[in-house]
Amino acid sequence: MKNKAYVPYFFIAPAVILFSVFMLYPILYSFVMSFQTSVGGIMEFNGIENYKRLFSDEIFLKALKNTFILLIIQVPIMIFLALVLANLLNSSILKFKGLFRVTFFLPAVTSLVAYSIIFSIMLMNDGVINQVLMSLGFGAIPWLSDPFWAKASLVLAITWRWCGYNMIIFLAALQNIPDQLYEAADIDGASRFRQFFSITIPQLKPVILFSAVLSTIGTLQLFDEPYTLTEGGPSDETLTIGMYLYQTGFRYFDFGYASTIAYVIVILVAIMTYFQFKIAGDSE
Amino acid sequence: MKKWNKIGFMFIALALLAAGCSGEEESSADGKVELVAWAWNVNVGALEDAIAIYQEEHPDVALKVEDIGRLDVYDKLATGLAAGGVGLPDIVLVEDDRIAGYLEAFPNEFANLSELGFDKHKEVFPDFKNELTSHNETSYAMPFDAGPVGMFYRRSVFNAAGVDVNAIQTWDDFLEAGTIIKEKTGVYAMPLDMYKDDPIFRMMLSQLGVFYYDEAGNIDLTNPKVVQAMEMLKQFGEAELLKDVDGWNGIVSATINGTVATIPFGVAYSGTIMDQAKDSAGDWGVFLMPAFEEGGNRAANIGGSSFMLVESSKKKQAAYDFMEFFTTDPEVQIIALEDYGLFPSLSTVYDTEAFTSDVQFFGEQKIWTLFAEEIKDVKMPYYTKDYSLGLNEAMKAQASMFNGEDPATALQNAAESLADRTARDINQY
Repeated sequence: MKNKAYVPYFFIAPAVILFSVFMLYPILYSFVMSFQTSVGGIMEFNGIENYKRLFSDEIFLKALKNTFILLIIQVPIMIFLALVLANLLNSSILKFKGLFRVTFFLPAVTSLVAYSIIFSIMLMNDGVINQVLMSLGFGAIPWLSDPFWAKASLVLAITWRWCGYNMIIFLAALQNIPDQLYEAADIDGASRFRQFFSITIPQLKPVILFSAVLSTIGTLQLFDEPYTLTEGGPSDETLTIGMYLYQTGFRYFDFGYASTIAYVIVILVAIMTYFQFKIAGDSE
Repeated sequence: MKKWNKIGFMFIALALLAAGCSGEEESSADGKVELVAWAWNVNVGALEDAIAIYQEEHPDVALKVEDIGRLDVYDKLATGLAAGGVGLPDIVLVEDDRIAGYLEAFPNEFANLSELGFDKHKEVFPDFKNELTSHNETSYAMPFDAGPVGMFYRRSVFNAAGVDVNAIQTWDDFLEAGTIIKEKTGVYAMPLDMYKDDPIFRMMLSQLGVFYYDEAGNIDLTNPKVVQAMEMLKQFGEAELLKDVDGWNGIVSATINGTVATIPFGVAYSGTIMDQAKDSAGDWGVFLMPAFEEGGNRAANIGGSSFMLVESSKKKQAAYDFMEFFTTDPEVQIIALEDYGLFPSLSTVYDTEAFTSDVQFFGEQKIWTLFAEEIKDVKMPYYTKDYSLGLNEAMKAQASMFNGEDPATALQNAAESLADRTARDINQY
């Protein structure tokens, strides 16, 4: 048999070319741009000025802080909720499993912008949520205009959108846990709670890690929800790094600085992921 | 099976790639030219009607108007310009407050209209419009619509509350009137997206002859007049006369459902009212913004837009010829006003019948005359290339103010933050 070594290359060529043109080139070029600034419409190198500027840029630091607050609060809540839901939906006594699974997963197929707009309408001052609150005798909550509640609204919206998605991942993993473990625990007299914390969670550790990493990356890049719900307001209280990047590039035409922000996000994602692997302690 | 799917996908991707790369043709062999313009909203209709008239004399020129949203035009334009003029149209609509930003960031990417001969039209446009469309004494944009501000009010609401519009001369009068209206009818005085946009603040600044920046390009947010405007807004907020709405749609729905007594906005808003609130025809009227002191200036401007030509366009001359016709032909501008509610800055049309007649929708008021008179007194706002940054900071100051901060402090903080971001000086008072 004749050995045609070039054939595989021929087959992977389209993917490689497309990847190079649409991914690799922009990635490399934005790296170059992160060291440049526009002088009268022409990009010129200015060393590490952009990076220096970042650390004294109060708006960037605020965006960074906001993003981390969202990350620290939203991701654990969502992962825990997803775990609980997955566990309930995996229960052998539950009826209409299919219906519930679809219901919880459905938010994950809606478009980011569409659901954000719906949330912004529901959370308006005279929106449906405040009307319900008021009819129950509570006061109206300034969901989108108060610094605290605006962040809470974001957490609420993102959790609604992504919880079902993580739940499905956990559900799939749950079905791979051998029943014997639970049977043995039953014989030893372990409660359901004990089983959840001592069997389910340890068995799901790699999957939880996977979800946590994906959610972390997602949160660091968060854009659509704050853009639609609050436009980063009030007074930058919900501005995320992703939004600041967009504003810098497309509203203020500062593409060099925007690229710098993009690379800082990359570095952050890398660091966060490293620590998550470290903490989860899997050597694989 | 999977493999075939992948190959199929690859082919589709390659086909798309090829389609994206197929270059645009220059003017074709038979001398026909197809111009491409980017615009949004009602401007699209105005352009299409104009080309139909233009084609009677110039059958070889066609126009394709791509109706993309306002912000999408800016995003696509910024991307194309940053890439050195790739994938751009021949003609693009740009709002006046953005022109300076584009010209400073991309000085060589727009056609020099002075060179093409547009300067001879200067006298038919108001001064502030000429200044807005120029950069270093050179004209780069053709003035189109302007946005003289009016307070669009509901006659029935004012009548029900027994408030006489003509008695409202100052903002203090209006505050008082608004309070009476709120008490008697439960209707708010004005709609405002309180935490995300600052149009009323900007209109007040225009009226006071100040802006985020001054003529020298210094940050002017600490100017006592600017503080005065913000304080007035705070009074309206504290009296609960502002209906907090969500974006543009929020303003429009408040207009339709009658929960606000007045909507302060540029003249173009008359088109929105006529279009969206048809069943309240005749119930509307317009008065000028109240002055800050007795007998003070009541003229202001917000918005307005102009057309720019792309320097790298291969059909620059044809684009210039058509757009010169579009912006200076009275017939076209009257259509723009009557059918699309776009108020021309072209002064030669102001004494035509279309402008001097009663407007039935607005209770037989001669509203166009009102605006045409007002436009003469509009002062030039200094947007500069850092307009977007100024807007961002002003908006944040407004949000902090409504969340309880003192107006002067909020503006001082905004000015300092803006100084960091733009390397401009802050005026000391």
